[in-house]
Amino acid sequence: MRRVGITGMGVVTAAGQGLDAFTLALQTGQSGIKQRPAASDLPLAFGGLLADFELSAELMKLSDQADGLGQKAQTVARRAPLSVQASVLSAVEAWRRAQLATRTIDSTKISLVVAGQNLNQGYHYAIQQKYQATPEYLPPRYGLHFLDTDQVGVLSALLGIHGEGQTVGGASASGNVGLMHGYRLVQWGLAEICVVVGALQDLSPLEIHAFAALGALGGKTIREADRACRPFDRQREGFIYGQGSGCLILESEASAKRRGVDPLAELVGCALVLDGNHLIDPNAAGEAQAMRQALQMANLAPADVDYLNAHGTASVLGDVTEITAIKEVFGEAVTQLWLNSTKSLTGHCLTAAGTIEAIATILQMKGGFVHPNLNLEQPIDDACRFVGQQSQSATINIAMSNSFGFGGINSSIVLKQWDAGRSQEASDG
Amino acid sequence: MTQAEVFEVVKKNIRDVLFNLEGQEIPLAASLKELGANSIDRADIAVQCVEDLQLKIPMIEFAGVQNIEGLVALLTRKVNA
Repeated sequence: MRRVGITGMGVVTAAGQGLDAFTLALQTGQSGIKQRPAASDLPLAFGGLLADFELSAELMKLSDQADGLGQKAQTVARRAPLSVQASVLSAVEAWRRAQLATRTIDSTKISLVVAGQNLNQGYHYAIQQKYQATPEYLPPRYGLHFLDTDQVGVLSALLGIHGEGQTVGGASASGNVGLMHGYRLVQWGLAEICVVVGALQDLSPLEIHAFAALGALGGKTIREADRACRPFDRQREGFIYGQGSGCLILESEASAKRRGVDPLAELVGCALVLDGNHLIDPNAAGEAQAMRQALQMANLAPADVDYLNAHGTASVLGDVTEITAIKEVFGEAVTQLWLNSTKSLTGHCLTAAGTIEAIATILQMKGGFVHPNLNLEQPIDDACRFVGQQSQSATINIAMSNSFGFGGINSSIVLKQWDAGRSQEASDG
Repeated sequence: MTQAEVFEVVKKNIRDVLFNLEGQEIPLAASLKELGANSIDRADIAVQCVEDLQLKIPMIEFAGVQNIEGLVALLTRKVNA
């Protein structure tokens, strides 16, 4: 089997934009969850929102390089919806960090997967308001931007990608679904490189209202922004919405070697399991099955895993169900398994969560630490090895990351430190 | 409204859509295509001008417009009708 490495990453979250800022946020436990900016019309008190996000300013921060990507990004995305702009930013960072701007390959060998669906709800809502008052002034470019696949067009034009490309969806499991799809493309030899972008899900007041009506949102009685998001804590009340995008460049071992780029980590397992259920009920059996299958594919035992980046949304039922599933899979090894939820820092970034959390996992792996699980004062379980409210030093060789979506979509991926000594032949054996 | 005033509105919207024209002059005789506008940009510029001028014009009327001068002439005619 071909080995699949991760050779570049880029990230946009309220906790930190760009890998350096995001790493610092993970190390110090700097949360991006703040009071809702006055300009936002979302019916919520706080969230991990990208306040004052402006593409040109953010591109400038990526220390403009001579590769022309900054200028090109302006041309293709300056007037695009927020979700497209966040994808552009995370993709440019990942592309540059993978040194694809300088050490490129045949563009027909590069694929693109945009993870997520219903990405522009906030944008549709704003346009609809305008349309109701003055239909004749509807911006013609809405005809392009209303499509989620607009992201595929924009990113392929920006990065010059001519291989296969598409969007894939799995609600809040979308990020992992995208990584899984990219993994297959590279492993099956359909691509040497696959750019996987977890897209920001820009919600409108409608979706926020509906989530609140379903009882899914946090902040019901805890009204302080910095205390409301509390995964795995007894006082958790639901998820806090976050906006963000994460991009990972998946690459075959042979291609990375040819380009002289060292992979940051290896994607060794992934699984997607349905519950056969269209509701929002989490199911421990399906979650456990996804974790087991991902480990099986990686040829690893539960005790081999050092760290688990949990789905951990702070949902009342969801968190306790995930712990049940984790304990079922890991058994006694659960006491040695570091456990935290990145959502305590970023909020729940929905369709992008899987990619952002895969990035957080790799950053912790490379940095030798596990980030705090903010607001975890009274854990819902005594056996699990939760990271407390401070980050800890940790040696992570193998890590798992879970993402579950409404409609019984369970996914799990397994990441491993890149072992340059393990050759292609050895992995074939 | 004079043709010159309408031209100012058109220029403002061209600059808004085509951000890379900063500092560059926009000649009346040029076509939007020559300035780098694709078909989506051109449609957006037309609608934004119509909105700024508070007009209601079916898009089909823009079909025969060949350059900025033609656009300005059409809009001036409509605004003074």
